[in-house]
Amino acid sequence: MPKSQAARRYLRRIAISTIVYVFAVFLTLHAVNRGRVPLPEAIGLAMIPSLPIVAIIATVGLYLKEEKDEFQRELVIQSLLWAAGATLSVTSFWSFLHIFGRVAAVDGFHVFVMFWLFVALSGYPLRRYYGGGNGE
Amino acid sequence: MNNRLRVLRAERNWSQADLAQRLDVSRQSVNAIETGKYDPSLPLAFRLSRLFELPIEAIFTDGENA
Repeated sequence: MPKSQAARRYLRRIAISTIVYVFAVFLTLHAVNRGRVPLPEAIGLAMIPSLPIVAIIATVGLYLKEEKDEFQRELVIQSLLWAAGATLSVTSFWSFLHIFGRVAAVDGFHVFVMFWLFVALSGYPLRRYYGGGNGE
Repeated sequence: MNNRLRVLRAERNWSQADLAQRLDVSRQSVNAIETGKYDPSLPLAFRLSRLFELPIEAIFTDGENA
């Protein structure tokens, strides 16, 4: 199915922001592996991966503003809501297991990746539910 | 909300893709509206109304007066 102009722009922006995010995470982890860093440097390094996250969220906002197909906007919003619910549930569940001493702690920056995995996963059943039909 | 989109489209021999192209939306959107899984906004309902040259209430019914 051909994608709208807004969807193409969204994918391009998301791809760029994600590459920057992954690069920023590796850069920061590399700095962590160097050992203890002074507080100002630690604050600066910790902020680096958070900036692409802002860019990614802004990209979603831009898409919702630019996409003319209201139904496609609805699908994206539903995906985001399902993903937010699933992410909050899983992280709460995992946190309590951690409090009970049953599992290891998970670094907070993994939550962002988990959220987008849930966005992708929720998109499939949503599109199947709404998008069935033979197109006759 | 119920609608007569499938019938109106069939009368014109339009596929879902044809209608989607005329409305500048995705085929998936047309399918979701036709099957009643998604109710269009008022602006989109007006576009449908202009396209089929019918009043909105001739295309959509709220289920109570169907």
